[in-house]
Amino acid sequence: MVTNWRIRYSRKGPAVWLAHLDQMRTFERSIRRAGIPVAYSGGFNPRPQLAFALPIGVGIATEDDYVDVKIDDQQNYEPDVNELWCRELNRSLPEGLEVQASRLVTDDKKNSLMSRVTAARYRLSSLELAKKVDRFQTRFNEDTWMVEKQTREKRSLQDIKPLILDIQTEGKHLVELLVCAGSQKNLRPELFLQLLKMHQFLSEEDMLETSITRTELLFAPQHMKVADTNIRDWVSGLDV
Amino acid sequence: MKTEPVNLTDGLLRSVTKPARYVGGEWNSVTKPLSSDLVRFAFCFPDVYEIGMSNSALQILYYLLNQRPDTWCERSFAPWTDMEQLMREKNIPLYSLESRTPLSQFDWVGFTLQYELSFTNVLNMLDLAGIPQLTSERSAEDPLVVAGGPVAFNLEPMADFFDLAVIGEAEETIEELIDLYHQHCPNGRTSTWDRSAFLRQAAAIPGVYVPSLYAVVYKADQTVEAIRPLDGTVPPIIQKRIVKNLNTMKRPDQLIVPNTEIVHDRMSLELFRGCPRGCRFCQAGMIYRPVRETGVDTLSKQAAALEQSTGYDECGLLSLSTSDYSQLGSLTDRLLEQFSGHHTSLSLPSLRLDSFTLELMQKGSSTRKSGLTFAPEAGTQRLRDVINKNITEQDLLEAMTLAFKGGWNGAKLYFMLGLPTETDMDAQAIADLTDSIETLYRGLPRSDRPRRLELTVSTAVFIPKPHTPFQWAPQELPEVVNKRQQFLKERFRNRPVKYHYHDWHSSLIEALLARGDRRLGAVIRDVWAKGQTFDAWDDHFKLDNWLDSLEKFGLDVSFYAHRERAEAEIMPWDHIDCGVTSAFLYREYQKALKAKTTPQCRIACSQCGATTFEGGICFGD
Ligand code: SF4
Repeated sequence: MVTNWRIRYSRKGPAVWLAHLDQMRTFERSIRRAGIPVAYSGGFNPRPQLAFALPIGVGIATEDDYVDVKIDDQQNYEPDVNELWCRELNRSLPEGLEVQASRLVTDDKKNSLMSRVTAARYRLSSLELAKKVDRFQTRFNEDTWMVEKQTREKRSLQDIKPLILDIQTEGKHLVELLVCAGSQKNLRPELFLQLLKMHQFLSEEDMLETSITRTELLFAPQHMKVADTNIRDWVSGLDV
Repeated sequence: MKTEPVNLTDGLLRSVTKPARYVGGEWNSVTKPLSSDLVRFAFCFPDVYEIGMSNSALQILYYLLNQRPDTWCERSFAPWTDMEQLMREKNIPLYSLESRTPLSQFDWVGFTLQYELSFTNVLNMLDLAGIPQLTSERSAEDPLVVAGGPVAFNLEPMADFFDLAVIGEAEETIEELIDLYHQHCPNGRTSTWDRSAFLRQAAAIPGVYVPSLYAVVYKADQTVEAIRPLDGTVPPIIQKRIVKNLNTMKRPDQLIVPNTEIVHDRMSLELFRGCPRGCRFCQAGMIYRPVRETGVDTLSKQAAALEQSTGYDECGLLSLSTSDYSQLGSLTDRLLEQFSGHHTSLSLPSLRLDSFTLELMQKGSSTRKSGLTFAPEAGTQRLRDVINKNITEQDLLEAMTLAFKGGWNGAKLYFMLGLPTETDMDAQAIADLTDSIETLYRGLPRSDRPRRLELTVSTAVFIPKPHTPFQWAPQELPEVVNKRQQFLKERFRNRPVKYHYHDWHSSLIEALLARGDRRLGAVIRDVWAKGQTFDAWDDHFKLDNWLDSLEKFGLDVSFYAHRERAEAEIMPWDHIDCGVTSAFLYREYQKALKAKTTPQCRIACSQCGATTFEGGICFGD
């Protein structure tokens, strides 16, 4: 039986500035240093098999992200290795990356983390951001929230309103955003800040200085069709 | 001394490309608790992070210095232009990655000089750090600015900016310098410490060069009349240092593992230092003599330690000419065996192509099948004899036959243009050589060759370097090189050959700086003041800035680049002794002009002078 080791990890400090591929390589090497019996892909250039739930953008911290490490079932290991691996990996990760929790799960392609991600919660914070967002919510009454989206090939306009599930402000500076996430519908939280900036609720400088932390990733539970689920059903990554 | 670390805000880091370059936090990077007696050393590489982090001297010295409880070595790289602009706008001084301490607060700021075109970056980094660029303007409160690396073998163009330099392999010298510094500043530097007394004592350490203790006098014809030590206590000649025994030296069992991809993103093993071949254009082949090898056991142990401590899944072999390592077979067997089952691969660079090495490259799936490279350097046998490059056309064709049979569909071929005595015929012969490969390919039965042929030809412009037999030779004129480049470009049209050539503009300035004297310091500073940095990057290099500044100071690029020197001329670097004697170099130059070859060290000793180091290949070990 092929098994996955599912890790819930956080990133902060210098690790926040890693691009997705950088972080993948960093996890690969850390897992090798920790001596975890990771399975390798076949072919000409075998790679350790890691599957991240959702790529994370450069400059974004996280408190709740997931990666599945496929375990090489040819290797012998004790059934209660979870804690040991967790400790070893934490000893091997560079500054800012940390395993928060982990467990062994059975591998099931149809229920990969990636395919079950539904939403992500972000905490945005900069000087008086909450006040600015409050102002935006009272004054900005458009039906569509059009933002210019730039991908490598082209620029396009996108309505981000349907992708935002909830906006909460807290005190003067903190804003919490719940947005769609995953391969079907996904919102990068920077686009919300972009919208605020476009309509002069936020200066360019404040936009750039706003720190962004992913605080929660939400998933559809295994026994349900992802499309049929809604916010009440969603669970944390370790409970998928 | 206490200062706040620099503050890198999210906004700043979001505004620059590749922010991971600027934040540190890599695995195996070192932090230490501060104390007043801790010597703080900033190891600087005057180019971007991805290039600097690939430099093995950085990894070795970082490891060695941090092994000392009394020293903390940190790193700093040249910020890319977007980052530089923001740092200047926000008054952020250049800082170290580990503690984000401004470089001006360090005891030592060390630069490794790997290529001349990084000079403007050195000045820019000093300026960004708020450290006076000129040695003469530094006070007791400023760090000691030290240079090392191959370019320090002619430091003269940068003599105004470096307090001292370490000539040759720095492992031992740098420790002696730190010891001496500790005697002077047991509790960190004070505003009253005697910097000049320190420099004088440092100059007495073998291999240490303190440029300010020498005066250079020029003749009316602009050549050097004399290089004089200021007084009798200053050594007239500085002999380079080597590490005699590579097996007993402390070698890193860990490397900093970058968080973001760098140029050479792998562990590497140093097979040997020096090179036995004696190619006449190659500075490294002269200044690192004699050849000293590391034993298989030492390397195998180091590989195991590095694999464990870094997590790297690729291991490279480092040397000037890998196939000349006397135990290559047993080393690769050993490594392949110890890597097997770990998904760790061995990559074999710069091999001479013979059946043995090809077999090696195919051995097992754990060796990554990389592209083949081959460096004949010149198109005709005559010219290859001139440069003492011991490869024949037959070697090349035999190797290609094996390569085609082994499934490779081509190779990259490296040449130089503008070599001494080169004619148009020699340049044409480069194309003829690729024709022969094509003919060979077409002549093979289909079963013995890949479906398509793909050759890449690159030509660099020859640059005469100090401490080589060609230090007397003129660089070829730009128009001649250009003509030969254009000829080849035409000649390769509609052939299965990709042709790359390097523009002569920056090669001209590299030639200027490589054999430059102290008068160029003002020129380099003037070019920097115009905002020019990253000269090694083609899209940043501007020839006109250099030519204008030269004119401003009444200097002529041709005097440095295009002039043949007389045997008796005093070279600006004649007080630096790399072990190889001028007499040997000149003999080699004369033989070159007659297209006579010299055997390599393993076949016969040519009395180059390196026996003075009492070790290595000269004594049969
Ligand atoms: S002294 Fe002889 S053996 Fe030693 S490096 Fe020189 S030529 Fe080679």
